[in-house]
Amino acid sequence: MSEEPTGTNIEGEAPEAEEVIETDEATITDDAELERTLGLSGGLAIGIGTMIGAGIFVFPGLAGAEVGTAATVSFAVGGVIALLVALPTSELATAMPKSGGGYYFISRGLGTLAGTVIGLSLWLGLVFATSFYLVGLGYYALDGLAQLGITVGASPGIVVSVIAVVAGIGFTVLNVTGTENAAKLQNGIVALLLSMITLFLAFGILDSLGIVDAGTPPGEAVNVWEAVPVMSVAALVFTSYLGFAQVATVAGEMKKPGRNLPLAMIGSVLIVTALYVLTIFVATSVFTQDALEAAGETAMVEIGRALLGAPGALVIIVGGLLATMSSANASILSTSRAIYGVSKDALLPRRASRINLKYGTPHVALGMAGGPVIVLAATRQVQLLAEVASFLHLIMYGLICVALIAIRRDEPEWYDPDFRVPGGNVIPTLGAVASFGLIAFMDPVSIGVGIFVSVATAGWYFYYARDVNLKGAL
Amino acid sequence: MTRVLVPIKILEGGSVSPGLMNLLGTVDVTVLGYHVLPEQTPPDQARAQYEDRATDALEDLSEEFRTAGGEADHRLVFTHDRKKSINRVADEINARAFAVSGVTGDVNRILVSLSGDVTVERILTFVEEVIGDREIGVTLFVAAKDEEAAKEKIDSAAKSIRDAGIDVRTETATGPPFGALMDAVPGHDAVVMGEKAPSLASLVFGEEADRVASASIGPVVVVRYDEKLDGEETPPES
Repeated sequence: MSEEPTGTNIEGEAPEAEEVIETDEATITDDAELERTLGLSGGLAIGIGTMIGAGIFVFPGLAGAEVGTAATVSFAVGGVIALLVALPTSELATAMPKSGGGYYFISRGLGTLAGTVIGLSLWLGLVFATSFYLVGLGYYALDGLAQLGITVGASPGIVVSVIAVVAGIGFTVLNVTGTENAAKLQNGIVALLLSMITLFLAFGILDSLGIVDAGTPPGEAVNVWEAVPVMSVAALVFTSYLGFAQVATVAGEMKKPGRNLPLAMIGSVLIVTALYVLTIFVATSVFTQDALEAAGETAMVEIGRALLGAPGALVIIVGGLLATMSSANASILSTSRAIYGVSKDALLPRRASRINLKYGTPHVALGMAGGPVIVLAATRQVQLLAEVASFLHLIMYGLICVALIAIRRDEPEWYDPDFRVPGGNVIPTLGAVASFGLIAFMDPVSIGVGIFVSVATAGWYFYYARDVNLKGAL
Repeated sequence: MTRVLVPIKILEGGSVSPGLMNLLGTVDVTVLGYHVLPEQTPPDQARAQYEDRATDALEDLSEEFRTAGGEADHRLVFTHDRKKSINRVADEINARAFAVSGVTGDVNRILVSLSGDVTVERILTFVEEVIGDREIGVTLFVAAKDEEAAKEKIDSAAKSIRDAGIDVRTETATGPPFGALMDAVPGHDAVVMGEKAPSLASLVFGEEADRVASASIGPVVVVRYDEKLDGEETPPES
């Protein structure tokens, strides 16, 4: 098996590869060193910060309206699937701690075709996810305006679109021109969110169990404890778990990757799963399905109001704005790293990874992230955006598990992960089956769009990069 | 041989003044070219674009250092965190000091700050070694609340430097250490100071060395704090 990628794309560009030495604190190449600067808290902030916006602030109303308290099971199922994938991803990431994340493992484990499909799907999947977060942001901003007494007249939908698009443009421009260190801000926002949510949940649970009576209206959602509806809600809300694997896209910048990568990925999945399940429990205990359905994307605001009055609603609105912003921003950053990973391997034109001389930022990649995000965000199709994002990620998650099995079966000499998933191939097999299986429960339109994107990316491979060989190359 | 790390913002016109090069001609030098990236940019991506240019510039700089006297090599690092990179490389090459480059001509007299909780012996040994048998004078400087203690500290230090055959002046102050040090800078071509143990103040106000460097304009050489060595009684022999 060759250790070097070979071949060139249609423009004659070859994958860039150089022998490197990985240490805990830096990546050493022939002439330069690449400092590892992200610690465990930074990794957790990326994972949690990406995930937390959707599951707590957008989905409780939508999911509770479908199946009531049974949605706790849907979220738990999502969490278990995420964990089944996070374990194999951790093993691969500690063996290959490089930028690109899931794309990198799949292109090395399963070859260029699968790599191209996943690399480009990861980019587009993140684009769909970012649009989804921005639409959520738009709904929260609308509620915020209402809370301040500003009503927007007959077409609130248009206002949501406008806010989502403006926010999308804002984040893209900020990322191209901003050279301030926003990582610390992100860490702070995540810490603030976690403490807000914990307090809110603690109070909500006491109320739900009848220990404290906040005078919430009587009403508990009618529960639909049936497998198929519970699973289709799980498929819908799985977008809440897209984010743990984004930690792997910054694997090249993580200090002590052998320890911090698994901890950050698995830790963030466990933390958000617990928070999601509790949130749904509170939401569906406080409100009936009708009420949840009527409140829609911002049901949490009404729940906050029911529990704590106007201040409660305000806290949730602020939390929702922060959380959806942090999700959108973290996703735009991951997108640009995903594009870099693919373009480095000559699967996209090399100029996609050019760096802006004035700001030192990858403006082309950020534009390729932000441009389509803005278009999609204008559609406001929450469910479609969420499910297509999940579809594209689930394909990648499934293939990550397959890639792990493939690499283990024929271990290359360089394969030496610090973290090994216990139990042989049981967990990756379950992870692959669960990831692909969940897709079956999605809305047919979402599946159609997802398949279309995957086929288009495969078409790109045959047109552009069919001579590039990445399999088995470090 | 004593080694000094010279970190340079290599892609943003960072350069080393001839005066600093000459001053460090008696010791070995590692030039650390660094480029700080915004977090949006993976270090690897920047390397692909800038490595060749940076390496060329670093090779030229190392050559100039060699011409000035000592051995010189270079490292290049792309980072999100300048301080972490400098400390890591300084540890790896076992650097006794690092230099913050600044503007200066020929170095005739250096200002050595012994204020605060620094290991005087380590600083003095380093100063003696750098000066060697050259005609460079030293002004020792201590700012302390207690005038008596400052006098005592500076007198014993001055004696040790004088014994090494170096021209010594002394200066003490009772004002705030930073401002007093700045008042003492005129008439000197470089500042030598000791790195303090990491403290709350350095987290809030930034590294003292950087503040001194930007306020004094000239180069600043910081003798590194060393957990292992600074616990010992005797100054280490190089």
